Amino acid sequence: MKWYDRITTIDRRIIYLLLTVLVIMPFFVKVTIPQKIMPQTQKLFDFIESIPPNDKAVLISFDYSPQTMPECHPMAKALLKHCFARGIPVIGLSFDPEAPGLAVDALVSVVHELDSLADQKDDSLIYGIDYVYLGWKSGRIAAQLDMGEAISGVFPRDYFGNLIDSLPLMQVVKNYKNIAIVVILASADYPIDWIRYPQTRYGVKVGAGLTAVMAPQYYPFVQTGQVSGLMSGMKGAAEYEKLVLDYGYARTLGNAETGMNSQSMIHILIMVFIIIGNVGYFFSRRKKEAQK
Amino acid sequence: MKRKLPLAICFITGVSMIVQFFIPHPTSLEFSSMIYKWIIVLMALALILAIGNLIRHHGNKIRRKKENWQYSIVTLSGMVVMATIGLAWGIDPDSLYQRIYLNVMAPLGGTMFALLAYYMASAAYRSFRARSLEATLLLLSAFIVMIGFMPFGQYLHPRFPAFAEWIMKVPNMASQRGILLGVAFGSIATALKIILGIERSWLGGKE
Repeated sequence: MKWYDRITTIDRRIIYLLLTVLVIMPFFVKVTIPQKIMPQTQKLFDFIESIPPNDKAVLISFDYSPQTMPECHPMAKALLKHCFARGIPVIGLSFDPEAPGLAVDALVSVVHELDSLADQKDDSLIYGIDYVYLGWKSGRIAAQLDMGEAISGVFPRDYFGNLIDSLPLMQVVKNYKNIAIVVILASADYPIDWIRYPQTRYGVKVGAGLTAVMAPQYYPFVQTGQVSGLMSGMKGAAEYEKLVLDYGYARTLGNAETGMNSQSMIHILIMVFIIIGNVGYFFSRRKKEAQK
Repeated sequence: MKRKLPLAICFITGVSMIVQFFIPHPTSLEFSSMIYKWIIVLMALALILAIGNLIRHHGNKIRRKKENWQYSIVTLSGMVVMATIGLAWGIDPDSLYQRIYLNVMAPLGGTMFALLAYYMASAAYRSFRARSLEATLLLLSAFIVMIGFMPFGQYLHPRFPAFAEWIMKVPNMASQRGILLGVAFGSIATALKIILGIERSWLGGKE
């Protein structure tokens, strides 16, 4: 067997082994490579930055499942830290039935982390005043449109069974008029419904945090201004984490930084193998053509 | 009558929902709000049907001992156990339901998705070949985007990130916009065909 034939038939177990080593390595060897912030991530950050404290709320639609947790969960945590640190109330909800468990985890872990750093008891975050999680609802387009009239009409109770009208935050936030932006953290095509329906009808601002596979579909909406900012995949999450850290809203970076290093290593490995495969293909094709 | 009545309901509801979208009058808003609530209730009812269907499908599989019937026991047990735990002990952040979700469901879901990386790496190596001009262009743009979006891409060449951004913002956006417009026109045409009764396959049965 010629060398070029050999490099096109590398055993897949070798590829799998190298992949495993490279994914794990950044968790043990910490390397921080400075991130270049993409304009769409900066736009989302700047939008949140422009919301006055204790004024309008940020509505976060947690629409990702455990499969895409490594990409979307760090986005959720970074965004929550940013909002809470700036005194912006947060309302969470989900239209993906797999998402509520992750939404609760993101909220609880961020609140716990910020509360442990609070200097006084008054600085701690209180459920019902600083944040609310509404839970999951079926019929998302109808629900999104009806929330424009009254959120309590769609969610009479929150995820934990409390009456919505009994929560101080929800006595102030009645509909989209009291919402500064809806940020959809999703692994599927959820933001398009927010753009098509509530934005068209009620003019609600839409931001998004999407998996890297989904994000390119939303570039046209960022350009037209229909999407006010976009976090794109693990990179978007790492960038937002960095912005939150740089502005002093967090003391440490989240998981996206490490995840980004693992992802970069895998991308390099895949590129190297594609090059090897193509070199082998090129030489074997030249040989075949010469034989003809 | 069996056909005319559903077609009439479809036409009246469809036209009313289009008209109300452009009229912000309280009566119109009240009407639309009522319809939206009906939709939410109907969707929730569809979930009950889905659960029933799941039980029937897997129940039959277990009863007839079809291939891999053992996995159906896992599926049904998982559904019953999680529903029972959630209903009996609640879904609070400290609940057993949440702990099972975060410690069983989340790692399992993540693992299944992570396996894709292995298949993708192997498949890319075996089949991503510069066989034609189009394939070569695809290969090159994929390389530039990947390198440009990597944190150290800027150190390989300072223009890599900007070039990757350009690929995403110009050729990618142009094609995405074309697809979006095509889908939008297609959706409008299909919706109109259904509302006007031209497309009747949703009624079921034969024409």
